Amino acid sequence: MFFRIMDRSRMPDLVRGLAAEYEVIGPIAKDGKFVFGKVEDPSDLRLDYDTTLLPPKKLFFPPEEQMMRFRVADNEVVDDEVYAAPRVVFGLHSCDINGLLLMDNVFMRDYEDPYYRARRESTLLVGVSCTSSETCFCNAWGTDEVHWGFDIFLTDLGDRYFVSVQSVKGAELLDRHVESREITSEDTEEFQSVTAAFKDSFSETLDTSQLPLLLDAKFNSPMWDELGDRCLSCGACSMVCPTCYCFDVVDRLAPDQKSGARERRWDSCQFGEFAAVAHGQNFRESRASRVKYRYYHKQWGYLSKFERVLCVGCGRCQRACLAGISPREVVKALETGGVQ
Amino acid sequence: MAPRVVVIGLASDFGCQVQMTNIEDHLLEVLGLIDLTYWQLASSGHMPDEYDVAIVEGAATTQEHLDLLRRVRETAGVVIAIGSCAVTGGISAIANAAGIEEGFALVYGERGRVALGRVAPASVVSVIDVDYIVPGCPIDTDEFLHVLSRALHGLRDKTPRQPMCFACKTRENVCFFEKGQLCLGVVTRSGCHARCVTLGRPCTGCRGIAPEANLPAARIVFEDHGFDAERALSYISLYNTNEEVVL
Repeated sequence: MFFRIMDRSRMPDLVRGLAAEYEVIGPIAKDGKFVFGKVEDPSDLRLDYDTTLLPPKKLFFPPEEQMMRFRVADNEVVDDEVYAAPRVVFGLHSCDINGLLLMDNVFMRDYEDPYYRARRESTLLVGVSCTSSETCFCNAWGTDEVHWGFDIFLTDLGDRYFVSVQSVKGAELLDRHVESREITSEDTEEFQSVTAAFKDSFSETLDTSQLPLLLDAKFNSPMWDELGDRCLSCGACSMVCPTCYCFDVVDRLAPDQKSGARERRWDSCQFGEFAAVAHGQNFRESRASRVKYRYYHKQWGYLSKFERVLCVGCGRCQRACLAGISPREVVKALETGGVQ
Repeated sequence: MAPRVVVIGLASDFGCQVQMTNIEDHLLEVLGLIDLTYWQLASSGHMPDEYDVAIVEGAATTQEHLDLLRRVRETAGVVIAIGSCAVTGGISAIANAAGIEEGFALVYGERGRVALGRVAPASVVSVIDVDYIVPGCPIDTDEFLHVLSRALHGLRDKTPRQPMCFACKTRENVCFFEKGQLCLGVVTRSGCHARCVTLGRPCTGCRGIAPEANLPAARIVFEDHGFDAERALSYISLYNTNEEVVL
């Protein structure tokens, strides 16, 4: 990794330069909130955004996707090849870059997902520093920092950006499209103080010590029933989660019933049918067991395999949950023994 | 032999049968799979005595409708209820919300003439067992084709059972509750791709209460956002008078 300084006024040059070679996707305004969408003009880009409605996972693992087509008469199968246009996702916060790294473990490590990989490999990531909001708790998991997995990361120093360059591609782009200069010791000091101020800006620091142990110790706690009573079973939390990767696979026949397509769609462990199997059995029929499962999987199951929890503290699920269930509340309840 | 299919309309605006004609791109392909022996909207003949599949739109509002439905259930191997009126009572059964007599007087006044054998409006689903449903006002043509396909292949009903907020999230809509508006998506059966809400109109619940909805929890959500249970229930009653909804 190496570092450069870019003047704030150069930002439109960088975006325009990237747009000449890539499709540029970044946070843009929608109905008073923000979404990752196509940046037509540098002025569309809203780097002052707090968070987006959906996380960037939608760009790599779309909510609905056709995987293959088949012919009924002879079982002929045609796989759908993903054509992924070269693109740059510009303005990712560190939580979301960490979220993608957690998704990579699932889609590109033990099991190869060609649809995900094609999009992932054709996409460059440009990160940007952020300020904490009321629903953020990335500081609980250390995902307020990101050390790898991006091409360029821009830390806002006011009149200029402290640019961390991580990939050769990132270096080339910076070199080709924007004027930048070498860092000085003052720049590095300011970078350190900005980073420290960011870390101090969180309203609280969650105690996550012994979390997996507590999950096991409190497996039969009434807190899960209380959460189950509140849960709306709507699956909003899973949809907006940057690390929820479950999908349902559906075969659909064309109207003439002679051919069909296999599709996958985002699924949620909060749906009643999620753990239903043949013969009408259901491993998690109660809402309480499903809410519990969500936390067990994220803070224990994934951890036991990949040594990280499957949460980046972005707070989207808390914002999306009409019943106000949040991982922060659940972690606190595990630590203290009750849901508020 | 292609299955013999009849399409029957009870009390409704026939909007769902019109939706069937809107499958124009695929209608001929579908007709190639079945033997459509009677289609109330499009045929002038009489309904045959024997058939394999009955597709029923509308709510029962007369004794004749009730008798017909029982006969249909005895005759058809497969019954598919389509549209809100047939599945949850829909607009046809809205009179039940105020009481049928009061509702009748309000709409038709004193000089209104009562249909012979009038009964309180009832969804098809509340009168007979059905094998498949296609909820919604009106039905979605894609969903109808999908259900018909499953019925023809003898696959079980797979209508989504969960409420629709998840679908709304995938469309990146801002929640109506955040804008101070009441939206029934939180209790309404999904499967509509959150179409209305994506077009800027809160959900009015035309697909019925989701079997997986958590109604007591939804009541708290409604109340927390300034809508008491009575108001929410009156909104729900637009399409859902055939089963008692308790928040």
